[in-house]
Amino acid sequence: MSDNRANPTQEVCSVQVGDTLFGVPIAHVLEILGKPATQPVPLAPYYVGGLVHYRGEVLTAVSLRRLLNMEPAKAPEDVLVFETPDGLFGLFVDSVGEVLHVSAADHEPNPATLEARRQVLFDGAWKLKDRLLVSLEPARLEPVRLAGAFSA
Amino acid sequence: MERCLTELETRPGDSELLAEIFRAVHTIKGTTGFLGFSRLEALSHAGENLLGLLREGQLAPNPEIISGLLSLMDILRGILRSIEITGAEGESRQDRAMIDRLEQLQRGDASIAVAEPELATVDAPARPSKPRKQCAPRKRSHTQSAPLQAESGEAGPPPREVEQALRNAEPQPGPFPASPSIPARPMTAPLPRAPEIQAAATSGAADSTLRVDVELLNRMMNLVGELVLTRNQILQATSADAGFALLGRRLDMVTADLRESVMKARMQPVSHVFSRFPRLVRDLALTLDKRVRLEMEGQETELDKSLLEAIRDPLTHSIRNAIDHGIEPPGVRVANGKPPEGLIRLRACHEGSHVIVEVHDDGAGMSIERIRQKAVERQLVPPQRAELMNAREILQLIFLPGFSTAEAITSVSGRGVGMDVVRTNVEKIGGKVEVDSQTGKGTILRLRIPLTLAIIPALIVRSRGQNFAVPQASLTELVHLSAGETDSRIEWLENAPLYRLRGHLLPLVFLDRLLQQSPRERNAPCDIAILNADGRRLGLVVDGLADPEEIVVKPLAAVLRTIGFYAGATILGNGEMALILNPGAIAQNAGVGLTSETAEASRDNTRDGHHEFLLVETGARRAALPLESVVRIERIPRSRIELAGARPVLRFEGTLLPLDDAASELLAGGDDPEAQTTVVVCRDGARHVGMTVSQVLDVAGGTQLEQAGNGEIADGITLLHDRVTGIASLSAIPSLQCIADAPAIEFASPPKEKR
Repeated sequence: MSDNRANPTQEVCSVQVGDTLFGVPIAHVLEILGKPATQPVPLAPYYVGGLVHYRGEVLTAVSLRRLLNMEPAKAPEDVLVFETPDGLFGLFVDSVGEVLHVSAADHEPNPATLEARRQVLFDGAWKLKDRLLVSLEPARLEPVRLAGAFSA
Repeated sequence: MERCLTELETRPGDSELLAEIFRAVHTIKGTTGFLGFSRLEALSHAGENLLGLLREGQLAPNPEIISGLLSLMDILRGILRSIEITGAEGESRQDRAMIDRLEQLQRGDASIAVAEPELATVDAPARPSKPRKQCAPRKRSHTQSAPLQAESGEAGPPPREVEQALRNAEPQPGPFPASPSIPARPMTAPLPRAPEIQAAATSGAADSTLRVDVELLNRMMNLVGELVLTRNQILQATSADAGFALLGRRLDMVTADLRESVMKARMQPVSHVFSRFPRLVRDLALTLDKRVRLEMEGQETELDKSLLEAIRDPLTHSIRNAIDHGIEPPGVRVANGKPPEGLIRLRACHEGSHVIVEVHDDGAGMSIERIRQKAVERQLVPPQRAELMNAREILQLIFLPGFSTAEAITSVSGRGVGMDVVRTNVEKIGGKVEVDSQTGKGTILRLRIPLTLAIIPALIVRSRGQNFAVPQASLTELVHLSAGETDSRIEWLENAPLYRLRGHLLPLVFLDRLLQQSPRERNAPCDIAILNADGRRLGLVVDGLADPEEIVVKPLAAVLRTIGFYAGATILGNGEMALILNPGAIAQNAGVGLTSETAEASRDNTRDGHHEFLLVETGARRAALPLESVVRIERIPRSRIELAGARPVLRFEGTLLPLDDAASELLAGGDDPEAQTTVVVCRDGARHVGMTVSQVLDVAGGTQLEQAGNGEIADGITLLHDRVTGIASLSAIPSLQCIADAPAIEFASPPKEKR
């Protein structure tokens, strides 16, 4: 936990989507909305999961499942709220797990064999004791960014 | 006070107004003298002297006097600001000049008053040209340097009362109109800028208002949103418990109310911005030697505070432009057959998903050729391209940075920053600027301000289980089709769905198809929302209607804005979200044209040979009742109907109503006193009459029929749903008097319908 320069640790919020465990640096997470009511947006780009209500504002939320071309979720999803210079946005995930402490030493970049789309979205992975924690960086998931990257 | 002064110019004889201004200046003088602000005192004293003469009728107000008084006010306000900041009056060389000018005005016109006593005692020589010549030192005296009379600044508490006097030069309710009333209005913020002063004054309720930081309102708004969510969760969690459900409903109501109040708190009428313009127009017109009248419309239109702030500068620029470039000098105007006084019309209104603010001048309009030429001259467009541009495109050039057609740079315009700034500022808040100009006739500049955060009334419609909001402003009527009707009433021309609305074909758009939602069942009931989007008419087919609601428009993320069909999103009273539809975009997408449809709309509006009828069935016949004469339709138990002579009458709201029962509906139920009859209550001239019917069928538009041969309009019949239908003649129903007098036998079968 101490900010040891040689081996800095970081707090990440673990989220589950399908069989994969993802980690988002906790500093970027503004709030976690537990199974909020959502409003689908017809004709929206495929990666938009819908709108969620957050503190009087209507947030556009990106669906990680859709981004990764996965089956739609069967149960209501949780939403992480991120703040970026361009405003707020949400991210639909299956469920939010515990906060984990990971160390930079355990981080490795994306493997070259990873599918191109995931290369863009993922930011490497942390090696946990028994499994991998895929690193997600909110800036890469911003709707505006995605519009540029995956408009086709 | 500014407003009073400009008003005084238009109504020079208004002694009430004069008294008001006098009172304000007097208050300033009194208070400042007491507090020891000598500069303020000297100035207001000079002003008071002049006003005194005006008030006693020894002087008539003219533009010079008003200009003098207005600049006096500017100086007073400047000193007040200086006191606010430094606690001292500050120093200025303007004072002497100002006082001299005011005295000169007094003397200058007083001499006229002596020379022409008749003219002076008669209330108002509207715009005297004589005094104008005699008043030598006019215009902007504070730019002249004059002997300095330095006043030592005196430290002291800022004279709030003086500010208040300036601010509240409005009729103050109270028994002592001349007393310097000090409203108990908490003042915690720094001195507001001029328009705000006026805004506070025009509200006329200074005592009951409070200044609140907008940030605080924003925060409240968000918290209320949060509360709504929590409320919903509580309602869900407690739905099983009856006691809790009651509490939950109460919470529900309070939350909805609170939400509404907070939203409203952010709204301000555009008059807050408009109110500064009379002065602006007046001053500019004088500087430019033009005569301009300002008309303002729709001042009550409400806009969110932040948007209101954002359009302040663009509007000021636009009005400056209209006066400087648009309105011609009086001489030119007269030569062109226009009244010497130019007209600037400022109009605000809601239109669809926007608030429109228009600046309309009846000036010279813009010369396309001149714009083209100037744009090339200033190297804003290459000459070859400019040649190819059409008039519309050329007009858009005026929004380019650096564009100006003014020959010389004046204090008013010509620096080439006008329209460019207007567009940038309006676009910053997501709005649009449109310009339309006709050479010789004038120019209309239209600012389209999005409704972001503005509250709009909307109808919530449902399509495939989802909520959508349709702005009421573009909604004209609703048609419901029940389960069996949908297939038969919606007609298809190839693959274009159409609905016959009062005989005219209306293009339909299925919302579920438009948005590629899951298709609905065939022949399911549906509603058609008939929209008029900027002159385009279409029917939007939805699954059902929910409640009308006042909604707050929330902006959508850029990726969703590009879809185009949504003007935003909103959170409904029940906490659910809804997408706000953009009727204009939907109409455009469906290819609904402007021209043909507007023609149809106008045909509907003029109702040429076209009337609305209530179609009823009496016995086996169909009859039409003019819709405008129908008061109400009621189911009435037989027991309330009595016979007067042989004639049925109905006790209706304490009066007696003659009934027409031509088809013997009253006998249909036999002797059962509980049997009910449908009665249509109609207005026939000044009286009301009733008509028994077996069934109310529809409301439909009828077309007048011409008689074959002579082409005269046939009386008493109309074409409804392609069937010739008789119009019930209400005047044929005998009055109560007749009923009492006449023997029963004559009423066997009164001629009710002409066929």
